[in-house]
Amino acid sequence: MTNDSVKLDILKLDAWFGDKQALKGISLRIKPKTVTAVIGPSGCGKSTFIRCINRMHELTPGNKVAGTILLDGADIYNDMDSMDVRRKVGMVFQKPNPFPNMSIADNVVAGLKLIDAADKKELEEMAKENLKAVGLWKEVENDLKKSGASLSGGQQQRLCIARALAMRPEIILMDEPTSALDPASTAKIEELVKALKTETTVIIITHNVQQAARISDMTAFFYLGELIEYDETRSIFESPKSPLTERYITGRFG
Amino acid sequence: MKAKKSSAHYNRQDAIFKSILISASLLVVGLFVALFLMLISGSMPSILGNGFGFLTGTTWDPGKGIYGALPAILTTIATSLLAVALAIPIALGIAIFFTEYAPEKAKFSLTLFIDLLAAIPSVIFGIWGLWVIAPLIKTYVQQPIVASIGFIPIFGGPAYGISLSLASLILAMMVVPIIASLTIEIISRTPVSLKEGMISLGATKWETVKHVSLPFARLGILAAVMLGLGRALGETMAITMIIGNSYMWPFANPSIFAPATSITSKIASEFYEATSAIYVGSLIELSLILLVITLVTNALFRYVIKKTNRGARRQ
Repeated sequence: MTNDSVKLDILKLDAWFGDKQALKGISLRIKPKTVTAVIGPSGCGKSTFIRCINRMHELTPGNKVAGTILLDGADIYNDMDSMDVRRKVGMVFQKPNPFPNMSIADNVVAGLKLIDAADKKELEEMAKENLKAVGLWKEVENDLKKSGASLSGGQQQRLCIARALAMRPEIILMDEPTSALDPASTAKIEELVKALKTETTVIIITHNVQQAARISDMTAFFYLGELIEYDETRSIFESPKSPLTERYITGRFG
Repeated sequence: MKAKKSSAHYNRQDAIFKSILISASLLVVGLFVALFLMLISGSMPSILGNGFGFLTGTTWDPGKGIYGALPAILTTIATSLLAVALAIPIALGIAIFFTEYAPEKAKFSLTLFIDLLAAIPSVIFGIWGLWVIAPLIKTYVQQPIVASIGFIPIFGGPAYGISLSLASLILAMMVVPIIASLTIEIISRTPVSLKEGMISLGATKWETVKHVSLPFARLGILAAVMLGLGRALGETMAITMIIGNSYMWPFANPSIFAPATSITSKIASEFYEATSAIYVGSLIELSLILLVITLVTNALFRYVIKKTNRGARRQ
């Protein structure tokens, strides 16, 4: 069952670390060009959830996944190759991880270089375009040859977003992208996330419920591996249906 | 209840213990300095008698009193470099397989075999090289190469079996476990966050190794290679048994299939027949030269390690 208003259709998703079940029967639908915030206390399965969407969870031996995830109607576990999935579903990590052995420009096109043999000029263009998209171009245009590790934390994180964007992904997953950053850098990333949804679909984990309220259209609240509540962000924050959700967003646990 | 011991007692105990530890450490320094001075003083008859010609001479004829060390020095450097060159691809292959592809169970036995290989006494490698590998390599490798491209001097005949190249091959086997185990250590220190960054872009395992792990580990691998080189330079027993102990290479016959003599094999095969002071002095000067070569390699190794650590901290 597919239609244009569903980008990602997740049905009865279970995930395990060895024998320990980390996700229990998660079902939810994500609309294209939206920002979905995933919130919940530590260990609730948020990270596992998004790592199932780009098939990173299975990388650790012993980890298992069951259930169905449809990306534009295609089953990412049965119809697609894991490498293909990751090209279409980009990821930004908690700790900025630019490749220290590559220049700033090469970092942006690192993924592109893997798939096609674009010429040097084209790659330079792509680097420029995506650095502009994350508002980093002005800051680094004279240092493109410098190592990606030479930037500040916030700049590194925007570089990593540019690196993910360069792949023209259908979805970008973000795993607490601002938790290691100062408030000014955080504000820039938040603005960027809001701008990104004109181009792509964003799923962002955050520990900061205010952040979820500021930047997301939809919010999913996870607790102990289960999806407790999934609704429009405004509804979640104004009239949560579950008392658990209410207690979490009002800061009474978590 | 026993009376409490005074703090003075503890201080005295500490002082005694500390002085024992200091003496143990000083012993290392003292030993090295004493050894170095002994080598220099032992070399004096040769340094004074042979002069600078010792380093450039190509003839070694104790009967005529001619001592030239150049072929031995060149052989030591050539066998070691060749051995390391042969060992690097194998060791890297092992290390990449181990860190990125091997299932946990295979890792255990692989570690065991790497350690076992490193623990084989070199005389066993020597005897195996001499009686098993030399005839095989002569028939199946050296002779066909001599027959096909033997007109190129370094691949020229005749094929002897025991030779510079056999020594390099056996040395390579002895060096592989050293380079491999260190490289495993270094590659597994690649931050997971970097590898995941590459994987999340749709990279295959090999692409992740190539673009992330190897660049991250490159200085460390260089250090591992240096350590292997140090091992190769000093190896004696196996080399003495399989290198042929002839001063043919490289001046009389530049072929890698020709027998040769390394510094270590020269010393090991002649120390018991050296009678005159200048003969003994020449052998001791040879060891002095080997020590200097080894020290230089070691210094390079330390330099690289220092740079690696600095790079890792920046991470």
